[in-house]
Amino acid sequence: MKRTGLTAYVYMLPYVIIVVCLIIFPFIWNVSLSFESDNSFLSNYQEKFSDIIFGKVFSNTLIWTFFSVFFQLIIGLNIAILLNQKIKGIALFRALILILPWAIPDIVAAIAWKWMYNDLYGVFNDILLRFNIINRPIAWLGNISLAMPSIIVANIWKGFAMSAMFYLAALQSINNEIIEAAKVDGANNFAIYRHLLLPHLQPTIISTVILTIIFTINYFPLIFSMTGGGPYHSTDTLVTWSYQLGFRFLKFNESATVSTINFLFILIFSIAYSYIFFRKEKV
Amino acid sequence: MKNRKLGVISIMLMVMVILSACSAAIPETPIDETEETVSTKPFEGHTLVVWIGSHAVEQEPIWNKWVADFEDMTGANIELSLLGFEGYYEQLVTAYSAGAPPDVALGDLGGWVPEFAAQGWIIPLEDQINSWEGKDQIFDNLWVTVTYDDKYYGLPWDCDSRFLIFNKQMFRDVGLDPENPPETWDELLQYAQAINDPENGVYGYGVSGAMSELATLGYMMFLGGNGERLLSDDYSQATFNSPEGLEALKFYTELFTEYEVSPPGTANQGEDEYRNGMAAGKIGMAVGGNWSWPLLYLANPDLEGEVGTSLHPYNSEPYSVLGGWATMISEASNEKELAWEWMKHMTSKDAWLYWLTQSEGPMPTRKDVANESPLFEDEKWQVQLETLAYADARPPIPEYTQISYEIQLMVQSVITGQSTAEEAIERAASNVNTILGN
Repeated sequence: MKRTGLTAYVYMLPYVIIVVCLIIFPFIWNVSLSFESDNSFLSNYQEKFSDIIFGKVFSNTLIWTFFSVFFQLIIGLNIAILLNQKIKGIALFRALILILPWAIPDIVAAIAWKWMYNDLYGVFNDILLRFNIINRPIAWLGNISLAMPSIIVANIWKGFAMSAMFYLAALQSINNEIIEAAKVDGANNFAIYRHLLLPHLQPTIISTVILTIIFTINYFPLIFSMTGGGPYHSTDTLVTWSYQLGFRFLKFNESATVSTINFLFILIFSIAYSYIFFRKEKV
Repeated sequence: MKNRKLGVISIMLMVMVILSACSAAIPETPIDETEETVSTKPFEGHTLVVWIGSHAVEQEPIWNKWVADFEDMTGANIELSLLGFEGYYEQLVTAYSAGAPPDVALGDLGGWVPEFAAQGWIIPLEDQINSWEGKDQIFDNLWVTVTYDDKYYGLPWDCDSRFLIFNKQMFRDVGLDPENPPETWDELLQYAQAINDPENGVYGYGVSGAMSELATLGYMMFLGGNGERLLSDDYSQATFNSPEGLEALKFYTELFTEYEVSPPGTANQGEDEYRNGMAAGKIGMAVGGNWSWPLLYLANPDLEGEVGTSLHPYNSEPYSVLGGWATMISEASNEKELAWEWMKHMTSKDAWLYWLTQSEGPMPTRKDVANESPLFEDEKWQVQLETLAYADARPPIPEYTQISYEIQLMVQSVITGQSTAEEAIERAASNVNTILGN
């Protein structure tokens, strides 16, 4: 047994070294940077918690994450159910609907959405103007109250496909005979959805939602390319703010403090995910 | 037992492979196999790593020629990376803070040099520059951009100054004379209102309002044009909150909030978006520079000959903001002497004259090149030369990036209606003074 164990460790070693070099070491360094200050041990944290911008950025992070994840769940789930039917050309639909948004690089998607939202020649304003719904173009990304909803819509489009793929995989594991049996017993579509599909999908939904929460909190390129955190901090989240503090102002200690807070925030969801995942494994 | 031995050997092998891959490359001394050939080239066997940012990277063939000439002259090997503009600052900061920077890098004249000098990432070049024969040829107002703690830390390589660019056809369409562009703020407003046609998505002037350096530059054009500067002469405190500064902020933001001659999305747009708008016949006038017209022609070839340039309209004194790039030597470099030779080569008269025969721009930092190159006979380049005389550097202090950020927030808070100009300017000035340690 021991020999097998040693060989296993040997095979794991390169991976362990890479993880230590690329994840554990920078992480420890980041945390230690966040405590470095001319004043007291916790002064970086005290300063950040008393900063008005921090409150704004934190609430932005919550809004960005909640609405993105909520709609990715609803849209992803319904698309998965629609794509789970046996119709001609379903493989093509699946590829177009599920792979396309997900496979488009973040920056390309961000630029495309930025153009679509543009007030001078964006397609959204053009359509609304043609149908006389508005008489002046709307500044989707230049308005303090519209910028966050606008980037959330872009993020929902970018992210729903991944959720849908998970749900579709789970749906395909349901034995069709059970659904057929339910239909024979007189269950309508809503009853099948409510009493059969949803209970079956519940573990997948929970784990997908937690994973999506983690991805969304950490998602940087779309926001940064579309608005740069503006106007007036209205789309700044913890990650974009941390980036600005570090790379624009070279305040590495403050940047490390914000990213450590962000890490703790994510850690809560990671623990929840691991708990659910391993509990499922044990079962 | 055999398995255990095998395991131990495997571990040792892997550790050796990883260690050898991680360790810094040790330069090999070239072994002269003939031993009879004596090299006369001073830097035979030396390698210099050079990073180039800015839009100048698009001229790859010229860079290759420069590298080949230099390698031929010195025997050194130049590892040149043409990195462009997007993400370049982040790459450079990461490399410096990780202790593995290039030997020579280009840094933006918008405050990078003093910022990096304050971090101890680049070395002073006082002795090298003072004993360099080309020193007197560099435009005098550029030296301040590379000075930190009274010492030169960079060698200005290319430069620009901002001015007004406009679409001549759009002027003619509304009966304005493109040969007589606006000169004052009042005229700017009149011209912009004449061009403005929001029903058809056409706007007179683009106010840079996005969270980027362009918002600061846009405001500075009006601030300087009203006889005021961001900071006091010794850069120790904010001065933009004077009555002149407030008047400039009000006029600049009212172009959008009151006169509506800038598009609805102003808070998320800057010069680059307006240049594209101008190419599409949607924006009449905007701030630009010597990089603008090649990009406008690229976006809309019909604009060839239809792009006008002039000194930006002002209220009390002509003004422009200086930009450009300088070369810097890293503190961590082991090839500082070779690095300086390369910088001199890049900034030499011959190298620049050759460049300008191959490409229209960027603007060299040398007076003799500006005098001799036929390029500067062109009307647009004449405007560039004229505005350069009025061009003022952004405060060359390490805190500039943070100060610029406060200015951007100030502009945004007014154009998004979060604050009045009076509130925003007082808040920004107070924050800037705190940043400056007051």
